Amino acid sequence: MSSGGMDMKRDLLLVLPQIVLLLTAVGALVAEMMRRRRLSLGWALVGLGAAGAAALRQLGADTTAFSGTFRVDALSHWSVLILAPAAGLCCLLARQELRGTPREGTVYSLLCFGTLGAALLAGTGDLMFLVLGLLINSLSGFALAAYSKTKAGTEGALKYFIYGTVTTAILIFGLTYWVGITGNTLLTSLSRPDLPPLALAFGFVALLTGLGYAASIFPFHFWTPDTFEGAPVSVAAYLSVVPKIGVFFALAQVGRSLPANGPVAWPLVLAGLAVASMTFGNLLALLQQNMVRLLAYSTIAQAGYFLLGVVGLPAGAGARRALIVFAAAYAAMNLGAFAVVLSTGKTLADFRGFGTRRVFAAVALSAFLFSLVGIPPLAGFAGKLLLFEATMAAGYTWLAVAAVLNSVLSLAVYLRVVAVMYFGGTGETPQTGPVSWAGQAVVVTCFLITVLLMFVL
Amino acid sequence: MNTFPLLSLTVFLPLLGAALLLLLRPRGRRTAFAIGIGPAALTLLAAGLVWARGVPGGFTQLEELPWIPAIGAAYRLGVDGVSLPLVLLTAVLFLATLIYSANTSEQPASFVALMLLLETACLGAFLALDLLLFYVFFEVTLVGMYFIIAGWGHDNPKQAALTFFIYTLVGSLFLLLAILALYLGAAPHTFDMRALLAHPPLGGTAAVLTFGALALAFAIKTPLFPFHTWLPTAHTAAPAAGSAILAGVLLKLGGYGFIRFGLQMTPDAFRQLAPYVLGLAVFSAIYGAFAALGQTDIKRMVAYTSVNHMGYVVFGVAAAALRPAGGPFGLDGAVLQMVSHGIVTGGLFLLIGALQDRTHTRDMGQLGGLAPAYPVLSGLFILASFASLGLPALAHFPAEFQIFLGGYQVAPVATALLLVGLIITTALYLRAIQRVFLGEQPAVLSPLGDLGARELWAIGPLMALIVLIGLYPEFLLGLIHATQRLLMAGHE
Repeated sequence: MSSGGMDMKRDLLLVLPQIVLLLTAVGALVAEMMRRRRLSLGWALVGLGAAGAAALRQLGADTTAFSGTFRVDALSHWSVLILAPAAGLCCLLARQELRGTPREGTVYSLLCFGTLGAALLAGTGDLMFLVLGLLINSLSGFALAAYSKTKAGTEGALKYFIYGTVTTAILIFGLTYWVGITGNTLLTSLSRPDLPPLALAFGFVALLTGLGYAASIFPFHFWTPDTFEGAPVSVAAYLSVVPKIGVFFALAQVGRSLPANGPVAWPLVLAGLAVASMTFGNLLALLQQNMVRLLAYSTIAQAGYFLLGVVGLPAGAGARRALIVFAAAYAAMNLGAFAVVLSTGKTLADFRGFGTRRVFAAVALSAFLFSLVGIPPLAGFAGKLLLFEATMAAGYTWLAVAAVLNSVLSLAVYLRVVAVMYFGGTGETPQTGPVSWAGQAVVVTCFLITVLLMFVL
Repeated sequence: MNTFPLLSLTVFLPLLGAALLLLLRPRGRRTAFAIGIGPAALTLLAAGLVWARGVPGGFTQLEELPWIPAIGAAYRLGVDGVSLPLVLLTAVLFLATLIYSANTSEQPASFVALMLLLETACLGAFLALDLLLFYVFFEVTLVGMYFIIAGWGHDNPKQAALTFFIYTLVGSLFLLLAILALYLGAAPHTFDMRALLAHPPLGGTAAVLTFGALALAFAIKTPLFPFHTWLPTAHTAAPAAGSAILAGVLLKLGGYGFIRFGLQMTPDAFRQLAPYVLGLAVFSAIYGAFAALGQTDIKRMVAYTSVNHMGYVVFGVAAAALRPAGGPFGLDGAVLQMVSHGIVTGGLFLLIGALQDRTHTRDMGQLGGLAPAYPVLSGLFILASFASLGLPALAHFPAEFQIFLGGYQVAPVATALLLVGLIITTALYLRAIQRVFLGEQPAVLSPLGDLGARELWAIGPLMALIVLIGLYPEFLLGLIHATQRLLMAGHE
């Protein structure tokens, strides 16, 4: 009995970062109920910082909690270390965009709830945690996407909701097959050699459907551009970063347990989806005139790069490291780009003459976009380079080549924006609110990370 | 003493000057240029000291600091007989152009700071021994040049700068692809250029594709036909100093790349594809000469002769790639040709700038009879033209002679074709001299007299170097040759 108590205490300490995230979300909600918006924001920021600190203290541990159902490893630690600051930056963006709106505090709370969901996904060692994390994450996402109550916002949120519930239902249905063949919900039991291949494959396809939607992997991406466009920009920024990182880390957790050369050739499937996602996202991004839609298609393309890291997993720890570095780089460059869009305007035309009108913001946006291409010495280059290495180590040289070629294609996507900023003539200043300290802080932080990440690797 | 990081000092002295300018923000033109010319002169001194320390053949004076150990990238600098002549050229030309442009009145502090940034980037690219470091410096040269053309150019500078930017950015993307391939092909993965030079990592199709990407990247930079179209536009729009640096130093990054990357890192693929490169170089040289012949704008004419001269450079390198055992003449000539072209064409562009200041036109149809009015300017222009057309005892002759000698052993027909280019160049320069400087003196002359002290201080040393290289090329060739012998020995 006493040893059970000891175990409980140990387990709770191990998931301390996730507990702090939960308390942060709840506290922010309570502050909103008291109509104390600034307290809500402050609580969220402090709480997210505390969660990060708790994860930092545990860095290096590699164990499990709650009888192997939750993994306390590099992925779960780094998910908190990346997602908590990212969510904090999203809160600041929301402060700039939604300040004074009726339910401002709920946004901070929901952002923290969603982050908790993503962090649970990242450490999942069990199908139940996977479903739980996905649900917490997507339920808060639905509410956030519908926040603005405009026609476009409602339409986008509805698409997100319907699509999300259907794919999640498929996921849960498929996972019951896995439970059926293994007899329990642990991911580790998937590595048994005697499992019936058809049921295993069915479960995997269902899993991909559910997770693929949350991470906007082609062909589960349909909701992405409409939802991003309709939602507040700060929410779109959040949706492009936090759920995605959680899901890819969860996929990596599954990939650790599912035999790569077993009956389901999952790396091959993911490699195919990666190429499709990258190519599709980049090609459609080329056609966009709206910056938010452009960034939405860009996140579909970047999802393909994330998949490279999962494909590389069977070859060793390099892939996990690549995933983590790319996730950090991606969070910084993508949030930064959204932050600049928020303070400038949603259409490409709003960026005319931006290069001379707001010199620093234009330089920063150029850095974010070139980093998304993967130009050295920016953060995105480090991430992509490690991803290419990991993929090749796993024997998928063709995938690395396809990814490199897609980077070439993506240069055209992002260069279009840079060209408008510097060579598009002088546009009239679009009607947006004043640039607040919060938005400015986000741009500066993301810029510093994008430029300096390579130097701290 | 030998542990003193002289190379880093050489690279970053100009940047220090630029930082000083941004910090002090001097209003006056004189102060700005004084702050700029000081570091540029010190840089030349430092480059001279690097030479004095001795460059026996292989890479020496190495400097290495950890940078990103996780991916095998480090801050690595080193110098050999290929890079040192180009470093000296860079230091000389930047000093000369800064002196020359000391009358720039429009935002002088920003101009000087940009020039110094550009100098650091060029020196860094020549001295970097790490692929990633090289790439970063390479990109910065592009950005620096873009702003110089866009900010201080004439006619339609924004458009020309954009063309330049897009072209070379696409080129550098292919360079990045090649760098990735080299990195991923090496075992263990590394960006260390010395390791990649010692053991070229790629073979077969991968090597051929990588060389293709490299050749494309550097063919745009050099430039070779048909990737040269950005060059005349950029030159027409750029200020005189910008043109001098663009032709004198930046194009050399292309030639340097062909040697350092193409020849040294993918030698077998280069050998395999050398006939094509050779053909393209010959065509480019002849095309450049004919295109120059067709120009009425004297600056565009000189710009097109760059296509011609750089064609010789690539020809020399390709000849060396084709048959390494055939002797290092082609490569020796190619490196010397780069130095000669830098000095001669840099000087020519500055002289054209001086001419334009006086006549306000570059159209040869409207110019004429300037020799009596500006004897010094005319004399120096004629000297530089003679050098450019390859007159013996002037800078291009020893270089081109060696290139032809190297080429003749490998591809006699192609070499014979190249001589056509030589004849055309001679014709076009003689015609330009006749049109601009001889004939009837114009009725109205600008109040500006012959070359002033500022212009003479800038251009005079370049002219002296033209004669020095022409008469005694050995002072550079000895240096170059030591490295080439080592380089070719490695590939037999």
